[in-house]
Amino acid sequence: MPESRTSRLKRPETLTALGIIVVAAAFLIPTYDLRAISALLPAVMLIGLIVLSVLLLLADQRKARAGEDAQPMTKSPKRVIGAFLLIVAYALATDFIGFYVSTAATIPLVAWVFGYRSPLGLLIATVIVVGTIWAIFDFGMSQDFPTGRFWGR
Amino acid sequence: MYSDLLHALPNVFALTNFAAVVIGVIAGIVVGAMPGLSATMAISVLVPFTFGLEPLVALGLMAGIYNGAMYGGAIPAVLLRIPGTPAAVATTFDGYPMAQKGQGGFALQVAVVSSSIGGIASAFALMLLAPPLSKVTLLFGPSEVFWVAVFGLASIIFLLGGNPVKGLISACFGVFVSVIGSDPIYGNDRFTFGQLEMLDGINIVILLVGLYALPPVIDLLETPLKTDGVNSSNLGTEPIWKALPRMKYWKTWIRGSLIGIWIGILPGAGGSMAAFMSYNEARRTSKHPETWGEGEPEGVAAAEVANNADTASALIPALTLGIPGTAVAAVMLGGLLVHGLQPGPMLFRDNPDIVFGFMWQFLFGAILLVLLGGSLATNSFARLLNLPRPLLGSVIIVLMLIGVYSIHGRMFDVYLMLGFGAIGWVMDRLKFPLPPVVLGLILGGFAEENLRLALRIGRGDPMILFQNTTSLILVALTIAVVVGPTLKKRFIDGRKEV
Repeated sequence: MPESRTSRLKRPETLTALGIIVVAAAFLIPTYDLRAISALLPAVMLIGLIVLSVLLLLADQRKARAGEDAQPMTKSPKRVIGAFLLIVAYALATDFIGFYVSTAATIPLVAWVFGYRSPLGLLIATVIVVGTIWAIFDFGMSQDFPTGRFWGR
Repeated sequence: MYSDLLHALPNVFALTNFAAVVIGVIAGIVVGAMPGLSATMAISVLVPFTFGLEPLVALGLMAGIYNGAMYGGAIPAVLLRIPGTPAAVATTFDGYPMAQKGQGGFALQVAVVSSSIGGIASAFALMLLAPPLSKVTLLFGPSEVFWVAVFGLASIIFLLGGNPVKGLISACFGVFVSVIGSDPIYGNDRFTFGQLEMLDGINIVILLVGLYALPPVIDLLETPLKTDGVNSSNLGTEPIWKALPRMKYWKTWIRGSLIGIWIGILPGAGGSMAAFMSYNEARRTSKHPETWGEGEPEGVAAAEVANNADTASALIPALTLGIPGTAVAAVMLGGLLVHGLQPGPMLFRDNPDIVFGFMWQFLFGAILLVLLGGSLATNSFARLLNLPRPLLGSVIIVLMLIGVYSIHGRMFDVYLMLGFGAIGWVMDRLKFPLPPVVLGLILGGFAEENLRLALRIGRGDPMILFQNTTSLILVALTIAVVVGPTLKKRFIDGRKEV
């Protein structure tokens, strides 16, 4: 199947290889300030990553030249991006407004957004999960969870 | 040599240690039964919660989950033709046709009995083979230990199959992550960028949860799975004691166990390869191969016995040399490290009660499978398939956050885990193998420390690394592992051309 992308550089493996090369090269800079023996292993690994990524890039471009189409990384990019964003938002909310409030909102929100729409089921699941976490971790194990930077705690 | 094994037995029967195995087996079956979740993911999520537990309680949970999940994968494989774990693919071949004929209950009983037998055989292999191997490795010095680490990484990269360039990139990434933090000898910071939280290096649990738990959660939310529940409501299950006399698969069980144990010991192979090999061998030697694929119970037995026989045996190289045979074994090594137990020969000398107790827990976990997974329980577990995936995904997200936050009580680790999770998702989609990353992190620091120690002993002369027979054997084995697959491929291609 011929390449369906507008540019061969937009193939997932090519983009990944380029990303690794850039990041590994950036990480190489601090190794100059290290003692030679301390820098040995990290420098070898970073140079290895660059060389291997070049090989990966060349192999992928060769496939593109041969007319081999690269599979997309996901068939539902909006769902994947949405899932990632919700997870990151949950972590940020936990950090800034506190664990219990964020968790009580996230469980039904994520389940609702991704297709489980039973209000009673969501309510029961949220109460059971949050209640169990409180009973086991807070009450039973005295585990402190974030109370929220926003509230100055 | 085996006296420590017997001394460790009473500890395993302590109430909390035994209860941990029971809970682990049940949790493992639940996880294995949910398509998209795996033993690797379950153990990754579990590891941070075990910090405050006694080592044998934590290890009992892990052993139980591993055993339970390998059987649990058979439930959706039989009822929906969706393998719950990669190792259950071969179970679908005959399990699903049996379910369509209304024999789903019997198929699951064959699966649970076969899984149990495979698990028992594997636990015995671990008990018999690991102690003598650990005695040999006690003789290793820094240069041999360095080569063992190199050999372990090479094995998992090149024997795992797939693209070796991607395997090498994964390993380099893992080793690089292992050097982040203070230099172990001079104490200067490496790649911490002024973050105090990174001075002690990257905790392996953060990496494990990110790499192994986040991508499956994204998968759960990405693809909604609709089940009609037809086969799960028509299992036709009879009590297991009535079903047992119908299972006359001793040859298949013995052959499958041996295949599974052997595949488990080989680094980089795994349960799915064992199951396929056992299935093919059983079919080849069957008197009526034409019935296979159309609902032959022996096909289910062949696949399940082998994929469970590789569980404990994958820990033989993991516990003695620090080289895990499978991804789950790699994650379990992480679990051992969390409790301050460094895999390798010293583990057997310094913590015999724990390491041998762990082996007993594998054995009891396998036996408990029949009791907990058989008969009525199988029906209950089958109903799990109707749990809504988005709800399950949201609960796992919460558990991941709690687990990682609990390690040091700081949100920095959670953000780091999310970063590794994003990397893990990309790697997973582009088919970069994940076990070399974990092994790189485990062996990287270990290899560096021993390399530097060897160089100091040799006053900077690198030839110290090649000056004894054991080192040279390990170098030769590493070269064989690296060039072996290429030579084999050329040999096969050459024969095809002839």
